[in-house]
Amino acid sequence: MPVVTLHFDRLTRMLGKKISKEKIVSTLPFIGLDIEEETKNYVNVEYSPNRPDYSTDYGIASSLQGLLGIKTGMPKLKIKKGKDAIIVNPSVRKVRPFVTAIEAKNGKLDDETISQIIVMQEDLHNGIGRRRKKTSIGIHDLDKISFPLTYTTTGRNHKFIPLESSHEMTINEILEKNETGIKYGHLIKNSEKVPIILDSNGNTISFPPIINSEQTKISKNTKNILVEVTAIEKNAAEDTLAVIANILQDAGFELFSMKINGANNSTPLLTPRSLIIDAELVNKILGIKISIPKMVYALKKSRLDAQGKGKKIICTIPRYRTDIFGPMDLIEEVALGYGIENFEPTIPASISVGQKNKITTILESISSVMIGLGYSEVMNLGLVSQRVLYDHTKRDASKIISVSDSKSQEHNILRNAILPGLIDTLSRNIHETYPQRLFETGTIFLKTNDEIKEEIHLACVSAHNDVNFTEIKSVLQSFFKTTFGLACKTTTSSNSMFVEGRSADIFVNNKIGEIGEILPEIVDNFKLRVPIAGFEIRLTGLY
Amino acid sequence: MSQVLHPIEQKLLKSLLEKQNLTPEDLCEKTQLSIDQVRRGIEWLKFKEIAQVTESEKNFVALGKMGNDALEKGLPERQLVNYLKSIDGFSCEMSQAKTQLKNEFNPAIANAKKNGWIEIYENRILLKGYHDTTPEERIIKLIASKSPALSLVDELGDKSTLDSLKKRPEFLTFTSTKYVTVNLTEKGIEMAKNVSGDAADVLVRAIDVESAAPTVFAARSHPLQDVINEVREIFIGLGFTEIVGNQTQSSFWNFDALFTPQDHPAREMQDTFYLKGLHAKNIGTKNQISNVSQVHKKGWRYDWKLEESKRLVLRTHTTCVTIKELADSKPEEARIFSIGRVFRNEKVSYKHLVEFNQVEGVVVGKNVTLRDLMGLQREFYLKMGMKKIKFWPTFFPYTEPSLQTMVYNEKLGKWVELFGMGIFRPEVTVPLGIKNPVLAWGGGIERIAMLKFGLDDVRELYNNNLGWLRNVSKCQ
Repeated sequence: MPVVTLHFDRLTRMLGKKISKEKIVSTLPFIGLDIEEETKNYVNVEYSPNRPDYSTDYGIASSLQGLLGIKTGMPKLKIKKGKDAIIVNPSVRKVRPFVTAIEAKNGKLDDETISQIIVMQEDLHNGIGRRRKKTSIGIHDLDKISFPLTYTTTGRNHKFIPLESSHEMTINEILEKNETGIKYGHLIKNSEKVPIILDSNGNTISFPPIINSEQTKISKNTKNILVEVTAIEKNAAEDTLAVIANILQDAGFELFSMKINGANNSTPLLTPRSLIIDAELVNKILGIKISIPKMVYALKKSRLDAQGKGKKIICTIPRYRTDIFGPMDLIEEVALGYGIENFEPTIPASISVGQKNKITTILESISSVMIGLGYSEVMNLGLVSQRVLYDHTKRDASKIISVSDSKSQEHNILRNAILPGLIDTLSRNIHETYPQRLFETGTIFLKTNDEIKEEIHLACVSAHNDVNFTEIKSVLQSFFKTTFGLACKTTTSSNSMFVEGRSADIFVNNKIGEIGEILPEIVDNFKLRVPIAGFEIRLTGLY
Repeated sequence: MSQVLHPIEQKLLKSLLEKQNLTPEDLCEKTQLSIDQVRRGIEWLKFKEIAQVTESEKNFVALGKMGNDALEKGLPERQLVNYLKSIDGFSCEMSQAKTQLKNEFNPAIANAKKNGWIEIYENRILLKGYHDTTPEERIIKLIASKSPALSLVDELGDKSTLDSLKKRPEFLTFTSTKYVTVNLTEKGIEMAKNVSGDAADVLVRAIDVESAAPTVFAARSHPLQDVINEVREIFIGLGFTEIVGNQTQSSFWNFDALFTPQDHPAREMQDTFYLKGLHAKNIGTKNQISNVSQVHKKGWRYDWKLEESKRLVLRTHTTCVTIKELADSKPEEARIFSIGRVFRNEKVSYKHLVEFNQVEGVVVGKNVTLRDLMGLQREFYLKMGMKKIKFWPTFFPYTEPSLQTMVYNEKLGKWVELFGMGIFRPEVTVPLGIKNPVLAWGGGIERIAMLKFGLDDVRELYNNNLGWLRNVSKCQ
């Protein structure tokens, strides 16, 4: 989850009221933030990407003002009519059809604000922007641009100086050599034409969604800002723009609209929307009985506007609150504004009688029988390594089931048997006292005709100097008799894991498993020094 | 007296009370125990400071070559006296005696003179008188009488005679052996008196309960399984019925049905395990698929793809099992739960595993509330022995409102985040025909197990280290 740094001195200025550090830190969780690190001067908080307005300290301060009762109700965007324009060329339809933008003027940027904006941009790219696929943001020094801008497409030999670079590069060079180009190049695929924003002098402003130009980079001296958002979906572009507009307004900038037209693009409105909720539903879902004025105040503390009307409440929601879908979201806002700590837990009446699943009951019985036979339970993961499951145990890997892109080579294959894992467990306990007798029950995965099947298996091993087939077969017989009252039959077989002549198939009507003495070669592969005998059976179908 | 003595110790004590300073061999004879038993018993008694062991030396003496000759023929001085006695006048020339006594002439003259038996006058030896037996002769006979056994020097007495015999070459041979004797300490005497009393008969049958016995390991269930079972029992106690489902699931039930858009970062391969080349054939009813796709298109405004929802994943939560059950049975009232393995494509570390156990419960009911959900949590944690809890708001894609529980951990002295909870979003329930509100809550079980067993590395739960499994206590 993304992280924002809150400096106490900065936050105090933003809140407009002196609030103790302790109060701030203890309030943060109640606006949905997790405290990651706290120091004397700052606190780092994690926020959920469903609240993009929390991507800077400005948005968090606004929320805190609400819950602390310093400022309540919806923060209003004041957008003056501007004169600059973006003309959209229809050729962008095939690559990245939408652009939206706003100007923020007469403000001041300090180092911390710039750093908050950079982090915000990255977080918005990853969250709401879906790693720049859905929306991507360009923030520019307005004074370096001559209007109108054109959002169009260009060929791959188009040249400009990309951000943080000293020389011109072609589109192809950027995609091949520039770090950001390499990371996001897949977003424009093999398209011959790529999106580009040019100013009226033909200078490149941005190559969305990859990289901006060096020419319009913002710095401490920047007074006027252009924010442009390109997207594959118009609403998402305007949502993103709304989040940034609010932040810049809070940072002291004046907002000016831009005229955008061409190819179904238009000037963004960024206006709030209204949702009506039923006060009775609020009380019913939350399990409380509060009056409509109290609900209205709770909503205002959550930085929304609200107004009672009969038994209903009309809520006004700022554009940046993209997380609000319907009434249930507003009910949560009431709960937060009212204060989660004010909810007294209750126990719902119930006449239902709980019950275990049948499989659970069977597995508990199996476990008690195995323990009675002197076997201890171990637990291994279902995602294992090829080394343990196939290579070291010499098993047939033709029906291997692997997962894509596992971050660990030790966990990239789904197990189709439990026994190999038990031998691996023994190999990690060579310094412990023998005999070692272990069992495990669990799910295994089988692939047949491109379909996956899950079964529950039991496997056990006995490891000590005098272990042999007879010992483990005694356990098998006793297991079946005690657990199911069944007799099992073992017939001579060949198994890649077992010693020839000490290997058998297990039958209860049908073949349900295998038993034998583990091959010395396998024992060696696992660097074990004692002989092992074991069996594995399929439980699915037995109960 | 707290110590209880072994029967061997009892017998030794009785014997030593009768007579102190016994050797192990003596004790064997008296107690009829084997020498090994006696030696072991002595060690035990010594360790308990009941008996003390003294090491000493025994000196033995036997006749040498000359000694044996003397036994047969008499000492040289006795031979001289006998010779003189056989001559008329009881005297002879020195040379005559020399011929008679050969090598023994010199000692014979010297000792006979020392005994006052002869006088030498003008080269003649005169017998003055004699004793019938000398101390030397007595000792030689005594030693000879015990032969072939060795005689104990101390038992012969008459140390000065032995010393003078010692000076005569090859008369005597000496040997020595080390040996131990056992006697009782004061504590031992005290204890021995009790042993010989009436209590002895009872004590004889008891054993030393204070010494450590050999280690045996109990076969047992895995501690994590114990926690899973404990959690399950609590759910059942709260009136919940257990459901189970597959660990491999279609993306449809794992994500789409839970209003998680297809382009959501959680669905990317870097967070979720997809099964290579495998797709679900039938994911749901026609109605379910069309309703879910509609709500995605409306809520998230994107091009929902059926193909994407068919991709098979290793379930990232057990909620997919719950939601499918609710969608298929559409209960108006229900309390159900499931426990099982879930998977996340994480880099394995002390904090994360690729696979862990999750429990999740839901309550469906016409009048269930957020406060009820909080109450169920409080009840659950109380049963787990966690009394201090609080709730914080949080976010889950498929619940609204959403809360998380913070539990105060006494051992760590801080608040720890445990289960998450919420009410299923209408975007989840409505398309699947679920009419009443659904309270849902759950979380990872390993977290609870770690707190319980005081572990700070989650991997330890799956290391199956027998050193830990055999020794961690079952009731904590």
